[in-house]
Amino acid sequence: MPIAYNMENVAIQLNNVTVRFRIPHEKIPTLQEYAIRWLKGRSVSFTDFNALNNVSFSIKQGETVGIIGANGAGKSTLLKVISQVIRPTQGRVFLRGRIAPLLELGAGFDYEMTGRENIFLNGAVLGFSRKDIASRLDRIVEFSGINDFIDAPIRTYSSGMVARLGFAIATDIRPDVLIIDEILSIGDVDFQKKSAARILRYHNDGSTILLVSHNLDSVKNLCNRTIWLEHGSVKMVGYVDDVVAQYSVEMFS
Amino acid sequence: MLEYDSAKRPPPAIDEFFQLIRYRDLIFLMVESILKNRYKRSVLGVFWMLLNPLLQTIVLSVAFGTMFRPSVPSYAVYLLAGLLAWNFITQTTQYAMSTMAYGGGLLKRIYIPRATYIVAAVGNGLINLIVSIGALFIIVIFLNHSITMAWLFLPVSIMILVVFSLGLALILSTASVFFTDTVDIYQVLIQALFFLTPIMYPPSIFPSELSQFLALNPFVILIEIFRAPIHANHLPDLDLVVKAVSLALITLVAGWVLFTSKADQLAYRL
Repeated sequence: MPIAYNMENVAIQLNNVTVRFRIPHEKIPTLQEYAIRWLKGRSVSFTDFNALNNVSFSIKQGETVGIIGANGAGKSTLLKVISQVIRPTQGRVFLRGRIAPLLELGAGFDYEMTGRENIFLNGAVLGFSRKDIASRLDRIVEFSGINDFIDAPIRTYSSGMVARLGFAIATDIRPDVLIIDEILSIGDVDFQKKSAARILRYHNDGSTILLVSHNLDSVKNLCNRTIWLEHGSVKMVGYVDDVVAQYSVEMFS
Repeated sequence: MLEYDSAKRPPPAIDEFFQLIRYRDLIFLMVESILKNRYKRSVLGVFWMLLNPLLQTIVLSVAFGTMFRPSVPSYAVYLLAGLLAWNFITQTTQYAMSTMAYGGGLLKRIYIPRATYIVAAVGNGLINLIVSIGALFIIVIFLNHSITMAWLFLPVSIMILVVFSLGLALILSTASVFFTDTVDIYQVLIQALFFLTPIMYPPSIFPSELSQFLALNPFVILIEIFRAPIHANHLPDLDLVVKAVSLALITLVAGWVLFTSKADQLAYRL
C-alpha cells in the first residue's frame, strides 16, 4: 500500500506492523507444573497467532478515520498498539502528539477516594503532573458538572457521573489524537451534547479522530476515510462510502 | 510536539527509567492512595502504623523474652529493630508482587511505566518503615536503652534496604507474571527464612559448624547493618557494609534489567 503523505503532517503511521500472541497449547500457569514438565523432558508447544498481520496505513493530522471489522478482526489490538499499551512484534508504529483513548475513561480511578483526589490520580495516569492538574482543576470539575459531590468518594457516584468525570479529565486540554467508540453516550442528553460539541471543536482545531464502531451509519456520517480490518489484516482502506459499501456487501449477503 | 516511534526506542532499561521520572507524580499519588485506603475505615487510622510494631514487639518479647533475655540485653529493642528490617523487605516485595500479579489490569488498558506499581509499593513500605522507627524510638526511650551517634548511620541502612527490596521486588514481580504460584512459593520461603535468620534469637545460638551457613543467608547481612547502630550502638563492620551495598546493587541491577527486558510482554500476559 503506498503511503501518500509526507511525514510532516502525519498523525499516525503504521509500517508493516505485526502483533503476535503466543498461545500455549496447554495452559501452564504455575512454576510447579512447568518444572514437572521440564523434568519429564516434555517441551511446551505454542501456536503463534497474529492479532495484527503486516498492517500499514497512514493518517493525516486532522483526519477522521473509521475502523470497522468483525469481532476479533484486530480492532482492539490496533488501538492498543497505537496507544502504546503493547509494542509491535514487528514493524513500526509512529504517533505524533498526545493521544487520548476515550475507550478507557477513568483508567486508574480509585473508588474509595474522592472525585477531587481521582482527578489528580487519573490525570497522573494520563501523564499530567500534579501541578498541571491543580491549575486546571476548577475547569475540570466545572465541565464534569459534579460540583457538589467532588469531595465525596466516587463509589457513591452513579456510573454516568464517573464517566463524566473521566471525560472531563481526558479532554480538558485538546489531545492531538482522540480514540472514540460508537457515538459518545456519556451521561444525560445535556452532557452528550456538551461532550460532542467539545470533540467537534477539537476536531476543527486540528485533532485527529479514530472512530471504532460497528454502527456503519455513524462511521459514514463522521469519517472521511475508513480502514477495514479482517483477521488482523487490512482488507481495504479508502473513502468511507466505498469501504462501507464493500463491507456491507460482504457482511450482509 | 510529543512523538512516539516504536522503531526509535532507547534500550528498555534506560527508557523505563526516564518514563518513571516523567510519571513521578503518579508514583506519589499511588503511594498516597495505598496509605489512605489502608487506614480509611479504621478508627485509629494511621496510628496503626505506630501501634502495629509496638504490639508485635510486646507479644513476641513476652513469648520469647524469657528464653533470650539473658543473652540479649534490651531484648525488645533487638527484636523490634530486626523485625522492622525484615518486615520492610518481605512486606514490600510481597505487596509489589501481588499488585503486579493480581492488580496489573491498568497496564493492559493504558500506557503507564511498567514499574510504577513496584516503585509505589517500595515507597509505601518506606513510609511504613519510617513511622515504625518512631515506634522503635518509643521503646528505646521507655527501656532506657542508650542512643548514640551510630543512629546517624540509619539513613544509609535504609537506603541499602530500599535498593535491595526494589531489586528483589522487580525479580519476583516478573516471575509472578509468568508463574502465578511464585506468590505462594515465596510466602513459604520467607516463612522458613524467618526462623533461619537471627531476628527473634541472637546469632550466637547457632552451633559454630552451622554458622557458615548463616553467612549464605543474605537477610542476615541486611538485618545486621540496620540493627547494629540501634541495638549494639556501634557502626556495622566495614566489610559487612561493603557486602550489603554490593548485594543491594547487584540485586537492583539484575532486577531492573530482567524486569525491563520482559516488560513488553507484561501487557500480553497479565
